[in-house]
Amino acid sequence: MALGGTIRGKKTTLRLPVEPDLDAYNRWMADLRVRRAHNIWHEPAMPATWKERFREIAKETQAVLWSIEADGKLVGLAVGYVWGMGNGFDLSQLVIDPDDWRKGYGFDVALALHRYLFDYLDLRRSDLELRADNPAALRIADRLGYVEYARGHEAAYRDGAYVDQVRLLMEKETWYERWSSEREYAPLGPAATR
Amino acid sequence: MLGPTRVGRNGVSLIPPTLEHFKLRTGWRAAPEVGRFWGPRFGELTEERQERRFKDTAESSTEIEWTIAYEREPVGFTGIFGIDWVRRDGESGIVIGRHDLYGRGIASEAVRLRTAFAWNELRLHRVHNWIAHANRGSRRANEKSGYKQMGLQRRAFFRSGEWYDEWLGEAFPRTFPEQA
Repeated sequence: MALGGTIRGKKTTLRLPVEPDLDAYNRWMADLRVRRAHNIWHEPAMPATWKERFREIAKETQAVLWSIEADGKLVGLAVGYVWGMGNGFDLSQLVIDPDDWRKGYGFDVALALHRYLFDYLDLRRSDLELRADNPAALRIADRLGYVEYARGHEAAYRDGAYVDQVRLLMEKETWYERWSSEREYAPLGPAATR
Repeated sequence: MLGPTRVGRNGVSLIPPTLEHFKLRTGWRAAPEVGRFWGPRFGELTEERQERRFKDTAESSTEIEWTIAYEREPVGFTGIFGIDWVRRDGESGIVIGRHDLYGRGIASEAVRLRTAFAWNELRLHRVHNWIAHANRGSRRANEKSGYKQMGLQRRAFFRSGEWYDEWLGEAFPRTFPEQA
């Protein structure tokens, strides 16, 4: 489970991560634009440390890592945790290279990933935590169908001050209400079971 | 980290856990009375797992754990986990493994000692937690030490024919009651 396979969006593709991606991961974690917007996955570190982290997540039973590509170029990463009883998912990281922001990649990859969660894995809900001063991410979550259920006050720290963290949930029912035309596979038709 | 001794009221103390204390957790995790609001009641319930867990806890710089002692007997455990030293925030948890002792105020006193330690010794800014909304005893124990609701996750888990909500709480030094 721990290294994610291919999930295709319209502009982006979540794909199996590979060791050569680690240089870019390190660069993003060191980028203050990323650090201001998100919790980071790991602190910047030596290549050997990243290789060790990569080996560790590959062995994980509940954490899943994907790399994100657009036009054949690595543009981001996603990390999530499948809940212990397998009925939900915490999306903990969705990082897009800051040089590729405002190209619609964030929403495209989020839609594809949620299609996989609900239409393929048949999960009940997905959970997300965002900083209250990240309007771009909050807009994507709202468009997908997430609803705020908790607000942690002064829970994140950046630029010398605390900021609130918003917790949001998306239910499977919402997915099918809003995105019923989004399918991982086309219907097989009656001939398939003949 | 293994937390230092904190002597409280009414026979309750927080003491540094030992390997023997960790091994008691296996039986607590397996008990239906304890599992109503905690865990799936299956898992790697072995002594080897507890040995690894004890070593990892002792070496960790991002969590602190105590054994809860009542009249000098280990009866549960509590701690603060996933401490972020930049945010100065962590997630707290508590389990009273001896269900025959429920209702004696042990959790309230343990939470008071733990929360005072978070503010006065660790210099944390915030502690947060998740509690089954229907677990009134645990929720009240935390509220008495200044935890306030920051949200409610509806229908979080299912037990015996009904959905349970999860109560999300948070506490700050300024919410710790003065008389505590």
